[in-house]
Amino acid sequence: MAEQIYFEDVNEGDEIPSLSLEVDRVQMFFFSAATYNGHRIHYDQSWAQGVEGYQDILVHGPLQVALLARAITDWVGGRGRLVNYAVQNRATAFPGEELRFKGTVTGKREEGETCLVELKVHGEKGSGQILMPGTATVRLPRRGR
Amino acid sequence: MSETETESLIGDEARAAIGSELGRAVGTVVKKEFQRWAAAVGDRNPLYFDENYARANGYRDVVMPPMYLAHVTGGVVDLDELRPDGIPIRSGGSGSVQLPRCPRRMAGGDDITFLEPVHAGDVITSVRSLAGLEQKSGRSGDFVLMHFRTTYTRDDGVLVAETASSLIARPANS
Repeated sequence: MAEQIYFEDVNEGDEIPSLSLEVDRVQMFFFSAATYNGHRIHYDQSWAQGVEGYQDILVHGPLQVALLARAITDWVGGRGRLVNYAVQNRATAFPGEELRFKGTVTGKREEGETCLVELKVHGEKGSGQILMPGTATVRLPRRGR
Repeated sequence: MSETETESLIGDEARAAIGSELGRAVGTVVKKEFQRWAAAVGDRNPLYFDENYARANGYRDVVMPPMYLAHVTGGVVDLDELRPDGIPIRSGGSGSVQLPRCPRRMAGGDDITFLEPVHAGDVITSVRSLAGLEQKSGRSGDFVLMHFRTTYTRDDGVLVAETASSLIARPANS
């Protein structure tokens, strides 16, 4: 993991390192297994296409949500913490598509001893089609504390 | 939404369930289960895997990935208790609200507040209620947005997280 980031180092407008990846069918199978999810749209191509009318099997919404959370928790480091996370699933993603997960600092505030940073976050694909818009609040440590 | 012009996709039974508790479930946090989940996400955060790293950062043990929480209290489903699409007929989720005219399900969104870290061995009780049902019109036709509220409480009575989540229920392929 990257070095710990501190509250003092963060400024409004900062971008967190983005996470770019392709989800493949094997990862989708493992995610279905790890979440005890038997929904055919995530593994049965003929069902997804023939019955539900999609072009292919669908990358799980909760996997996309987890990948965006991963981008955020990687950024906050071991001493940071995810406090609030709100996302909406807006579009579908398919295996083999390049997905990108990003975040921008929109504000920072202190509540007593607690240092909070607000982020606008999203998942996207293709030429920037938004899959998931959202917000997050994270807690970061202060230097010397 | 004018119900005189648009046919309602929400039946009386489902409407009557708004505001009610849909179910509660208890589950024990198992380290290998959340680590398998994290690995499936490709999330090798050492907080979830490395006890020493977690301790050095103020935790008593490896931490459960926050987004695993919803899975802790998942149940056991028999294969003859599934709908044709593989979703349980009765689940702690949407399956307990019957929307026979909208069998297709997709994740809508989540708004989660994490109050306390969770560790292996913690016993979590989730209580889920139906917060609302909204019929909407989208590019691909009418659908129902199902709103849920869920609380997650540790066995010592501490609320560890609260979630407002939604599911999209669509009519059969048209």
